Amino acid sequence: MTERTSRKPAVSHIQRKLIPSYIFLTIMSLISVFPLYWMFTAATNTSLEVAQGKIWFGSNLAENYRNLIDGQNLWQAMGNSFFYAFVQTLATLLICSLAGYGFELYHDKGKDKLFAVLLLAMMVPQVATLIPLFTMVSKMKMLNTVWAFIIPGLATPFMIMMFRQNSRNFPIDTMEAARIDGLSEVGIFFRMYFPMMKSTYAASAVIVFMNSWNAYMWPRTVMKGNTVQTMPMLIANMSNGYAVDYGMLMLGVLFCSLPTIIVFFVLQKQFAEGITGSVK
Amino acid sequence: MKKKQGFGLLAKQKAAGWGFLAPASLLIFIMSFYPMVKAFITSLQTGPAAKLAWAEPIFKNYTRMVNDKVFLTAMGNTFLYLLIQVPIMLILAILLAQLLNNKDLKFRGLFRTLIFLPCATALVSYSLIFKTLFANEGLINSFLRGLGIIQENVNWLGQSDTAKAVIIIALLWRWTGYNMVFFLAGLQNIEYSVYEAANIDGASGWKTFWHITVPLLRPVIVMTGIMSINGTLQLFDESVNLTNGGPANATITMSHYIYNNALGQGVANFGYASALSFIVFIMVAILAFINLKVGDTRD
Amino acid sequence: MTKKLVALFISLCLLLGVASAMGEKLTVTAWDANFNGNALQAAADDYKANVDPDFELEINIVSGSSDVENDITNAGSSGDYSLLSDIVLFQDRYIKNFVENYPDAWVNLDGAEINWDDITAVKQSYSTIDGVHYGVPVDNGTAIMAYRVDLLEEAGYTIDDMKGITWEKFLEVGKAVYEKTGKALLSMDGSGNDLPYMMLQAEGVSLWKDGRPFIVGNEKLKRVVELLIEMEKEHVLILANDWTGYTNETIMQDQVAGVLNGNWIIPTMTQVEANAGKWQITSMPTLDGGEGFATNGGSSLYITGNCKNVDLAKKFLAYTFGGSKQTYDEALRKGGVVTCCISAGQSEVYGEGVPFFNNQPVYTDIVAMGAKIIPVEESPFHYVLRGYLGVAMQQIKDGADIDTALQEAEDATVFYMEGMGY
Repeated sequence: MTERTSRKPAVSHIQRKLIPSYIFLTIMSLISVFPLYWMFTAATNTSLEVAQGKIWFGSNLAENYRNLIDGQNLWQAMGNSFFYAFVQTLATLLICSLAGYGFELYHDKGKDKLFAVLLLAMMVPQVATLIPLFTMVSKMKMLNTVWAFIIPGLATPFMIMMFRQNSRNFPIDTMEAARIDGLSEVGIFFRMYFPMMKSTYAASAVIVFMNSWNAYMWPRTVMKGNTVQTMPMLIANMSNGYAVDYGMLMLGVLFCSLPTIIVFFVLQKQFAEGITGSVK
Repeated sequence: MKKKQGFGLLAKQKAAGWGFLAPASLLIFIMSFYPMVKAFITSLQTGPAAKLAWAEPIFKNYTRMVNDKVFLTAMGNTFLYLLIQVPIMLILAILLAQLLNNKDLKFRGLFRTLIFLPCATALVSYSLIFKTLFANEGLINSFLRGLGIIQENVNWLGQSDTAKAVIIIALLWRWTGYNMVFFLAGLQNIEYSVYEAANIDGASGWKTFWHITVPLLRPVIVMTGIMSINGTLQLFDESVNLTNGGPANATITMSHYIYNNALGQGVANFGYASALSFIVFIMVAILAFINLKVGDTRD
Repeated sequence: MTKKLVALFISLCLLLGVASAMGEKLTVTAWDANFNGNALQAAADDYKANVDPDFELEINIVSGSSDVENDITNAGSSGDYSLLSDIVLFQDRYIKNFVENYPDAWVNLDGAEINWDDITAVKQSYSTIDGVHYGVPVDNGTAIMAYRVDLLEEAGYTIDDMKGITWEKFLEVGKAVYEKTGKALLSMDGSGNDLPYMMLQAEGVSLWKDGRPFIVGNEKLKRVVELLIEMEKEHVLILANDWTGYTNETIMQDQVAGVLNGNWIIPTMTQVEANAGKWQITSMPTLDGGEGFATNGGSSLYITGNCKNVDLAKKFLAYTFGGSKQTYDEALRKGGVVTCCISAGQSEVYGEGVPFFNNQPVYTDIVAMGAKIIPVEESPFHYVLRGYLGVAMQQIKDGADIDTALQEAEDATVFYMEGMGY
């Protein structure tokens, strides 16, 4: 009884002290969400209403959807984007996690130096490599295939770094034990490292998936034609006509944004854990 | 005999290590370094794309930059974004992370999710959203008018100062939450007891922030700092989609200008564009190096 | 598991790769589904119905003319044309530069049966190189000067008062209209500079002279710029921040009593249904009086070096956009695309009164106006100069000295050309 009465005021005292925090965080959250709220409402309004900055939900959603479906290959583009982003995520995670694992758990002077050199690649401007990369991909006869889409993003210094940092949590002793048990080096990676690093994989998957879903400049250089286009390309195509239907366009924007938002929501717990491991 | 076997095993392990990192390393060499070397060679050439010839003198594309007013403007704009946006964003992100790291705070997950959400939107989408929001008759103006803060519509994207401000606001909106997640992760690696000790000592919130949080987060700050410097110096989408570099080149970035030279206007000047991008590469490398040195804890 | 996945990827990739290269099929790349897309569909339907029932046209829509132009630059510089469609649509001003730089990327129209005398002179001037035709025109960029007749009336003027006037007079009317109705008589995208271009073309003056930029010392340009700045000060002209601001705010939000642009602007105007019947069109004013005619935008179809069936492409283009009334009529009906073919402007569909424009037969009028446009000197560096002139306009609007700003625009253009060895 005495304990109860003494604790209660303590809690509310703490909460009272936190009021400025709540206010600040609420304001920041509202600012963060507001443009997305606007995207939702705009998708239900007519072109004219969007242009006039109408803030509430309207009644034009069905009409916008019909126009979008009639005029654009919406589901084809959604399918393409999913396919490319999925392949990209799988392949990038495999290649970069192997590298991060190799750099951390087998590290020696030579590998550390190589890693420092690879980090330089982070600073290479995308505009500079666009034309040489295009020429290269065209010589490899990959244009208009998923390979052209994924190949420049298969290995990125950032992803390798992410796995390398997280690999520090991987106990070397267990590796030794596994070797004594006769597991091969590759076996150790797939049987032990892989299952232990689930949250790192989840965090990386979120980042790679988002980047590849949202990619625009490179895909539009190497992917041509209605059958291979992605969602960001579809939106860009809709937004540049002589007369733009903004209601329909914003519905397209909504379709393009939902998958990444959903992926983040589903994986957010693992995402937070994975990032935590990367900054240790 | 036994010794020899052990040696063989070690060599095998070493080979396996190289095997693991070989695919990624090779890919980076082929996909980043080789094109960069090619770009450097191109930067020593002039003429239309199909008839490139060696420049005379060979560094002509580099020397003529000094007289390129538009590039100098673009450089000024880019560094302005860097100097204003990156510090505000990082401080805001650390502050948010600090607040969210409080175990007594309710709805932490909700706040974190909402503040992170902006970076899930595609660049193409978010430029469109901001453009409509900051239009003359857009929501921001009607909102401010409603509150009585302004009497007449502000032409946000039509004046050089406000257009720059909109770009900075857009960048802050999209990237603060992203950086916050890294800081939050960094804070979770710091023992909570450090804070409790500070609380017992009676240190104020700001003191804890500057004297405990910031120093302990130094490695994370260096990492996010490098990512942000890199991202800002290569800023492209916002300049192209939000303001198209205008008004009167007031918001154009270096990458946008490079793009205009390479592809934007029908007559491609690849040589000059490559030279410009090489300069950007060197700038990023130098700044990242300074950042690493300043952030190095081993004095 | 992994093996299955790999197999799945490979089969999917193969699926994506195949499905082309068959029979009587052509591919075309264009932008704007509602406008160009519908026009191309009209042509395909026409050819299918009247010439070859097996014919098929695959229309790929991209985000803008610049996308097509970038594809050509990419392809030309890497020597790999395999991503180009059989036929591409892009803006008229590029072809000279493209043929010069990437001659292999194009197939000229030798042997295509087109009556060139029936195509407007200005359109041909863009896509003919040394007497050889490369492009088949799709839309006619002829400028229309549209006025809200009801608002003019409030200010005490009629549409006939606006025909053949000077820009000074236009300014005077504009002031009256603003006073009475609060609306501007004109608006434009202030970051591009379509307006000075059209105004100069109506004078028969170019921004190019013997291959060099002609900005400094171009008296007519200076007069035009001074006039525009004054119009802006007097609320007669709204200079929007960008294209979106121009279409969305000034036109769609009903802020203007006049519109001057290529006739492809009509679909934007008709979105404001409340003003139906209140608009009419005429020719544009000039500096010294007399009717002005100009063009803005407009594009043509070109056969690429990647075309697998050149004969079919030539036949298709010659039959449809080269002179078929059905194509022209349907392109107009479905897409609002106006032809460059002078005789097609006489058709019944073209001659119908348009309710939005107070039952004026605007399309016949547009085609007739198109025939009167005077071709002026063009340059591959058109868009470079245009960009810098836009910058100068914005600077002048914000108070910069006209001569300094124009000098800077010329210097910047010359700087760019020098970098390319010109």
